[in-house]
Amino acid sequence: MSTLLATFDWTIIRENLPDLARGLERTMQIWVIGIGGSTVIGVALGAARANRIPVISQLAAVYVEVIRNTPILVQIFFVFYGLPSVGYNLTPFTTAWLAVTIWGGAFNTENFRAGFEAVPFRFREAGLALGFTPLATFFQVTLPIGGRIALPSTINTYISVLKNTALLTAIGYPELTSVARSIAAVTFRDFEMITVLAVVYLTIVWTFSILIRMLEARLALPKEA
Amino acid sequence: MHLPDWVEPVARYMLETGLKETLKMSALSVTGSAVIGILLGTLLTLPFLVVRAAIRLYIEIWRGLPIIVTIFFIFFALPTFDIRFSPFTAAAVGLALWGSAQVAEATRGAVESIPREQHEAASALGFGWAGAHAHVILPQAFRRLLPPLVSLLVNVVQNTTLAAVIGVAEVLETANRSVERLQLTPPSESHALSIYGGVLVVFFVISFPLTRLAAYLERRLV
Amino acid sequence: MRRLGFAVTIIVLAAASLAAWSFAAPAGKPAATHAVTAVKLPKLPALPADVKSRHRWVIGVKCDFPPFGFIDVRGHNDGYDVQIARRFTQLAFGRDNRLSLVCVTTPSRIPTLQSSRVDMIISTLTWTQARADVIDFSTPYYSATGRLLVPNNSSIAARRDLHGKTVVTTRGSIYATYLKNCIKDANVLEVDGTAAAVLAVKNGQADTFMFDDAFVLGVATQDPTLKLTSDKFLNIPWGIGIRKGDSKTAAWVNIALRRMQLKNEFVGILKANTPAKYVGAFVDNVPGPKTRFAYPVGKDPASDCSGI
Repeated sequence: MSTLLATFDWTIIRENLPDLARGLERTMQIWVIGIGGSTVIGVALGAARANRIPVISQLAAVYVEVIRNTPILVQIFFVFYGLPSVGYNLTPFTTAWLAVTIWGGAFNTENFRAGFEAVPFRFREAGLALGFTPLATFFQVTLPIGGRIALPSTINTYISVLKNTALLTAIGYPELTSVARSIAAVTFRDFEMITVLAVVYLTIVWTFSILIRMLEARLALPKEA
Repeated sequence: MHLPDWVEPVARYMLETGLKETLKMSALSVTGSAVIGILLGTLLTLPFLVVRAAIRLYIEIWRGLPIIVTIFFIFFALPTFDIRFSPFTAAAVGLALWGSAQVAEATRGAVESIPREQHEAASALGFGWAGAHAHVILPQAFRRLLPPLVSLLVNVVQNTTLAAVIGVAEVLETANRSVERLQLTPPSESHALSIYGGVLVVFFVISFPLTRLAAYLERRLV
Repeated sequence: MRRLGFAVTIIVLAAASLAAWSFAAPAGKPAATHAVTAVKLPKLPALPADVKSRHRWVIGVKCDFPPFGFIDVRGHNDGYDVQIARRFTQLAFGRDNRLSLVCVTTPSRIPTLQSSRVDMIISTLTWTQARADVIDFSTPYYSATGRLLVPNNSSIAARRDLHGKTVVTTRGSIYATYLKNCIKDANVLEVDGTAAAVLAVKNGQADTFMFDDAFVLGVATQDPTLKLTSDKFLNIPWGIGIRKGDSKTAAWVNIALRRMQLKNEFVGILKANTPAKYVGAFVDNVPGPKTRFAYPVGKDPASDCSGI
């Protein structure tokens, strides 16, 4: 173990810190867009599914089943290499956020659907009785309560979205994993670069998990009396 | 229906060579994940803090890392310590580390969901801790593990595609190579859309029934 | 007197015909054939023990780099590098099927060699100092130049046009390093395979693919929508990769290469793997009996930014 620490080449990390930082910045960009986009999709389609809105509900079901039953890496290749032959030439950046958003959106659709359906009917009844329109009831009652019920599963989806950004190395988008691999390919210091990756991803994932679980405790619905 | 000329060799390569590797890797990884995961998950319920902490660390690391980074670690970083694996083995081990962490967590949940009454009944019948677990608790927990295990199978099958990144000739990589070959020989038509679409179909056909099975088991067994 | 005149005539005629004959014969031709048949082929040393007991070479080759290493329509390996591997097998075991080929990519070829998964790598491996620090190189067996592959309507004509453009290349290639050192404001996209890079250019996701002429010339010839610019750079030979310190394999490989070079076999292999129309462009890149390629030891061509 001590020889390991002795031969660990810190200078390689120091020399390449700017590139690695840029890579991390791009990872974060894609992640944030992915969180936002997948939430919007999840709420909209989850609500459509929960309320059995015709046509949209069925289409959403197909979307969810296709995305959840196929590997994300194949989806990424399909978007980046396949779509151009029907005219959609997407830059690596666009492919990156689009692929993770589509993937996260499918899972969030299920998460929010389950959350909305778990809102006790009497709460929605109460909203309608108070004179809210169905749409207002959704925003004032179903969404806040259903959203909180769905929180644990949506958090898991957000964390998975972050981990999936690492796959963008396959299309050359220079996010963190791609940058680390490129540096290792030239310097042959794979151990140092992968250690950096492990430390960064675990730190972000663990911190995010802990923060959100703390927040979840605050946001949790009061236990029924 | 007459298929274009390029389809047959591509389909043959992808299904005969690629799919075989995918299924082989899936079988090995799922088996490894299940065995190690159930063992660790059961140990996680032991009242020994050190054991629980170690297993908890294992679970959090292999679930927290992107699987591709785990695979990179095994294939590219371990050789620094003279531990060398083939691409296939590196990918299979990486998947099994992740999978076993998932199963361990699921097992812990399943075991803890068995009501106290069962533990009390078992000790009333004269079973010790080990006997209670072996004869009463675990058999019931296994039933509850079946849906997550089927889900794990689906996830592992899909994640075998990550092995393409380190060059294993599973379905996705055979698709990549076919696209390449078509691109570089006349008439330079890569057919990427159809080929990657085909890969999506292959995985959908394998995963969808299993996902339905997991949902059915969830309703019936829990 | 008459006999003298007769003798002089014979001598003059003989001299004249000798002179005529030596003028008529193209200079060098008799010398060349003379050299091929008369040259002494070095004797192959003993095979490494494990190769001998296994009775098989295990060699890493590219599977995405026509015409050097690729998978043909039947799913079998073929190409210039693969043919060299088969020739080695023939030299070692008398048959060319005592061979296992392992597909490698640019990023995975050196780890695969170092992990002893393969005995050597014949995988379009350009010499760099960084690579020579971790593995051993055989004597050169091919010399490639860097070129730019662009769509037909591209405004890029040379490296100086790359500022601010998106340049795709393969991960860990000398071109990636070259771009980072010399064209810092280019947007570099590093992908893990050649197919990905070509598709990126075709789809407009990258403005150009900077890569070995050996590969992109084939692409440009097959694909009417792509072309090469005339800018040539980074002329560095390729070698066969051997584990550091594996002197038995190194000795065997270098002698085998020398034999093939002296018998001018590389040209034949090139011709078998390249459509006739561009054999001419590559024939100077393969070693012949007189060629001597040399690695740029002590220099770092990837940081030599002159000529841009």
